[in-house]
Amino acid sequence: MTRTVLCFGDSNTHGQIPGRGPLERYRREQRWGGVLEGLLGPGWQIIEEGLSGRTTVHDDPIEGSLKNGRTYLRPCLQSHTPLDLIIIMLGTNDLKRRFNMPPSEVAMGIGCLVHDIRELSPGPAGHDPEIMIVAPPPMLDDLREWESIFSGAQEKSRKLALEFEIMADSLEAHFFDAGTVCQCSPADGFHIDEAAHRQLGEALAQEVLAIGWADA
Amino acid sequence: MPDMRFAPPNPLRIADRASGLNSLSVRSHNERLVLSLLLQNEATTRLEIGEKTGLSAQTISVIVRSLEQEGLVVRGEAQKGRVGPPTTPLMLNSEGAYSVGVSVGYRNTHIVVVDFIGNVQHQRVMPHKTADTFDAPEALALEIHQAIAGLSQSRQTRIAGVGLALPTPPIRSGPDHDVLHRYLEAELGLPVFVQNDITAAAGGESLFGAARQLQDFLFFYLGARLHGRLVLNHQIYNGNSPLSYDVGVLALERALPAGDATAEKLWGQEPSWPPMGAPLAAWQQACAESLVQLTQSLLQFIELKTVVLSSFVPADICAALCTLIRREIPSVNAVVGRTSAAPKAVGAASLPFSSRFMVN
Repeated sequence: MTRTVLCFGDSNTHGQIPGRGPLERYRREQRWGGVLEGLLGPGWQIIEEGLSGRTTVHDDPIEGSLKNGRTYLRPCLQSHTPLDLIIIMLGTNDLKRRFNMPPSEVAMGIGCLVHDIRELSPGPAGHDPEIMIVAPPPMLDDLREWESIFSGAQEKSRKLALEFEIMADSLEAHFFDAGTVCQCSPADGFHIDEAAHRQLGEALAQEVLAIGWADA
Repeated sequence: MPDMRFAPPNPLRIADRASGLNSLSVRSHNERLVLSLLLQNEATTRLEIGEKTGLSAQTISVIVRSLEQEGLVVRGEAQKGRVGPPTTPLMLNSEGAYSVGVSVGYRNTHIVVVDFIGNVQHQRVMPHKTADTFDAPEALALEIHQAIAGLSQSRQTRIAGVGLALPTPPIRSGPDHDVLHRYLEAELGLPVFVQNDITAAAGGESLFGAARQLQDFLFFYLGARLHGRLVLNHQIYNGNSPLSYDVGVLALERALPAGDATAEKLWGQEPSWPPMGAPLAAWQQACAESLVQLTQSLLQFIELKTVVLSSFVPADICAALCTLIRREIPSVNAVVGRTSAAPKAVGAASLPFSSRFMVN
């Protein structure tokens, strides 16, 4: 029996290389999803669904409605069902100046996604899958040329972990704070580099196993 | 009407809702279920917790996370299983909580401080001026203050309470149990939990000692007299029975020639007793016979596998009694208790933990 994990995220799940162009992406085995797959080993299938610029629930007025995590999540879940575990790591793009969102509202966006997952019940045999909310690591103060887009986001990004954990407690979901094991790269201040991908993948492998899976 | 799915979440993390160990916060039934399993097992996993409680993995995840943040629970190293994925064991943080146990006995009052897994951190004996008389609640409060002061500042804030093990019927001369209870609570500013001393000793073995993980066992306490308790499914049956048998240390003391100096040694927590010849052998035989009879009479009704004998008398004497039981009843494993330092006081120290962290 194979267990299937969907990693639903943004550029940091996609594997965007910090400080480089939009087409430059880490190879699968360098990305946290690939690290996770390598560590969990046979019996686990990892599906990466990372889109640069993805928000929790917002149509992006500039980048387009395709960046809205909520509208993409439903067809995505139905495409990949049955899913044993869905890891959601989003929130950074919601902090862009154009959305003007406090950290608590970003957490509300994450909450929406959890509700939507539970409405569809894309787990094995139509059950609810396990859901793990991952708070992205806080942004660094120096965002280079991205400062104007994210202006003011740095402070908010440091509050996401607490707001997400409150949401996870409230909705009874698994939670992990990526900021406890990795940092954003100084190359652009909000993407994670190869070392951070590895640290995150290793930590999440522990978290996934700690959930406690009955033998197949 | 707003869509309640999108109502604001509870504005505090679960771990933050309890403001420190000493606020007598009401723990949810589910939290107590999880803590009960952790208190009854050396290590467990979230999978086992789910199987035993029926709680969902995500509910357990939230509870365990809050217990980790409170410092009550720690994660062990992931263990590779023979089949299936590795598992991460969970266990109590031994430094997560402390408890004070007090037992008022026939000759002595014992005071212990134990950590969350029952390791004795501090132990004191207050001999009574006269046997069967306890008249020093102020001195007791002072001893408890000193015992607590022996812990570091940060550990002092993690004291779950004081357990008080008192005999039934009450000792002849001493303050009323309720009065003592209220006095200590006011004097110490800590919750005080009172229980019959023998029941407390059985609870101590069940939580910290030889009977940890045992659902069912027959418990004997050998003190001035011999007392028994039956534990079924971790619950102590017949909690306050005053019935006891006159085959204890008091009987041995009577059997010694009048004025024998060894009589004093019987009560003094000695690692071994001096040779006493025939009276000791006869007493040991009588005591073993009582133990065997009591066990056999219960075996008619219940399939018991374990007898735990707890006592302050020297370990070799207890071991010899256990051997005699095993010889007479081979189907039963008789073992010496592990709280022998002060069985009733250690048992008393288990009370704050069971009252505050476990399901009834």
